Amino acid sequence: MNSKLASRSIIVITLLFLIGPFGIIILAGLSAGDFMTFPPDGISLKWYAKVFEVKSFRASFALSMFLAIGGTIAALLLGIPAAYAISRYKIPFAETIKTIVAAPIIVPGIIVGLALLRYLVVPLNFTVTIALFLAHTALVLPYAVRVVSSSLNNLRSDMEEAAVLLGCSRVGAFIRVVLPNIRSGVLAAFILGFVTSFNQVPVSLFLSGPGVRTLPIDMLSYMEMTYDPSVAALSALLAFLSVAIVFIAEKFLGFSRYV
Amino acid sequence: MFQNNREGLFLALPAAVFTGLLFLLPVGFLLAEAFKVEGSWSLQGYIDFALKPLNQTVFLRTLKLGFFVALLSAIIGYLCAFCIINLNDKSRGRVFGLVILPLMISPVARTYAWIVILGRTGIVNDALIGMGLLDTPIRILFTETAVFIGLLQLFLPLMIISLVSAMENLPKDVIAAARVLGANWFQVFTKVILPLTKDGLVMGGTLVFTGCLTAYITPAILGGSKVLMLETLLYQRVNVANDFISAGIIATILIVMSFSANQLLKRIASARQ
Repeated sequence: MNSKLASRSIIVITLLFLIGPFGIIILAGLSAGDFMTFPPDGISLKWYAKVFEVKSFRASFALSMFLAIGGTIAALLLGIPAAYAISRYKIPFAETIKTIVAAPIIVPGIIVGLALLRYLVVPLNFTVTIALFLAHTALVLPYAVRVVSSSLNNLRSDMEEAAVLLGCSRVGAFIRVVLPNIRSGVLAAFILGFVTSFNQVPVSLFLSGPGVRTLPIDMLSYMEMTYDPSVAALSALLAFLSVAIVFIAEKFLGFSRYV
Repeated sequence: MFQNNREGLFLALPAAVFTGLLFLLPVGFLLAEAFKVEGSWSLQGYIDFALKPLNQTVFLRTLKLGFFVALLSAIIGYLCAFCIINLNDKSRGRVFGLVILPLMISPVARTYAWIVILGRTGIVNDALIGMGLLDTPIRILFTETAVFIGLLQLFLPLMIISLVSAMENLPKDVIAAARVLGANWFQVFTKVILPLTKDGLVMGGTLVFTGCLTAYITPAILGGSKVLMLETLLYQRVNVANDFISAGIIATILIVMSFSANQLLKRIASARQ
C-alpha cells in the first residue's frame, strides 16, 4: 500500500513538472493586468483577443502555416516515390541515398539556416521565403520517408504484382492498389511533418527578413520587447492547437504507431 | 520486389538530389569556410577559436549541462519508468500520453512558461518572499540553473519513453526472483535492472545529450547572453561580429557530436535485433 502511494506520487510530481508550466501560461494569459504575473490580476480574455489583433502575429502565422502545409506536401511528393523505391526495388547506392535523405535530422537547424542564407539567398538571389520553404521541405523529408517506408513494409508486395500481371500499368497499380492501402501512413507522415515544421525555430533564426518571419521567431522577438501576457495567451493557443491535432490523429489513425 | 533498378533509381533520385544539392552542399560550404583564413587553407581558425577563454567556457558549459541533464533525467526516468510499468494497462496508456504530450508543443511555449515561474516577480520568488525566507527576489532567470531546469523539462520525456520501452521488455519475475534470493533494492537495480535496460538508457541518454548540445531556444530565453551555449554563441558570433569562421567551427563541433551519437544509437538498435 505504501509503495503504491510512493509510486503514485512519483508519477504525479513528474507530470506536474512536465505539464504544470502549461497550466501556468494558460492562466497567466487570462490576466486582466498589463504585465505577466501569476496568479493573474483578475480574469479577462483580452490578451487572448489581442493575439488575433497583432498584425505581425497574423502575418507570421500565415507564413508558418504555408511552410508547414506546403513544405510537408513537397516533402511527401519527394518522399513517397523515394520510400517506394527503397522498399520495392533493389536500387544501386541504396545506403548512400538513405543516408543523404536522413541527413537533415542530424544537422542542427541553426547551421542549415545560416548555410542557406550564405550560399543560396545571398549569392543566388533566392528570396528568404523560398529558402525557408526549401529548408522546411528538406527537414520534413526524412520523417516522410521513414513513416511511409514503414507502412509500405507492412503492405504485401504481391498485391501490386498481381495488379501488374492482370494488365494494370505500374503507375496505375501504385495509384489504385498501393496508395489506398498506405493512406493512413501518408496522413500520419503529414501530421508529423506539419507539427515538426510548425514548431521549428532554429532554421528560421537566420532566415528572416523584413516582414518575413515564422511565428515562433516572431514570438521570440515580441517577447524581447514587451512583457505583456499576449505571448502567454498565444503560447496557450498554439499548445491547444498541437494537442488537438495529435489527439485527433491518435484517435483516428493510432498515430503513435508511426512516430 | 521489382527488378527494374533504373526505374527505382529514377524514383529515389529526386529526394536525394534535392537534399544533397539544396541542403548538404550549402552546409558543406559553411563547414569548409572555417578552414580558410584570409584566402588560404589553414587550421589557424580552429587554433584561434580553441584559445579564446569564452569559447572554452561555452564549450565546457554545453557539455556539462548536457551531461548533468542526461544524468538527472536518467535517475528520474528510472523511477518513473518503474512506476509506470507497474500500472494497469489503462492508466499506463494515459500516463504515457501525458508524458509524450509536451513533445508536441512548441518549444517556445514550453520555455516561456519558465519565465513566469522563475522571473524576478515569478512564482518561486513570490513564494519564497511570502514565506519570509527572502527579503528581496533572487536571480534565477539568466543563470545556469534556469537553463538546466528548462532543458530537463524539455528532454525528460525522451528519457522516460526510452526507459519505459526497455523496462517493458524486462521479464516481470526477474525482479521478484532477485528479491526472493535476498538482493536488496540497490543490488536489484545495479545487478538486474541496469544490465537488462542498458540499451534503453544509452538510447535515452544519447537523445537527451544531443538535444541539449543543439538546444537554442532554452539557453536563448532562460540564459540570455550571460549563459551562452554553443548554439547561442554561434548566433551571437554571426549577428554581432559577422564571424563565419567561428560559426563554421561550432557547426562542425555540433555535427560531429550529433553524428557520433546517432551512429551509437544505430549500432545499439542493430545489435538488439
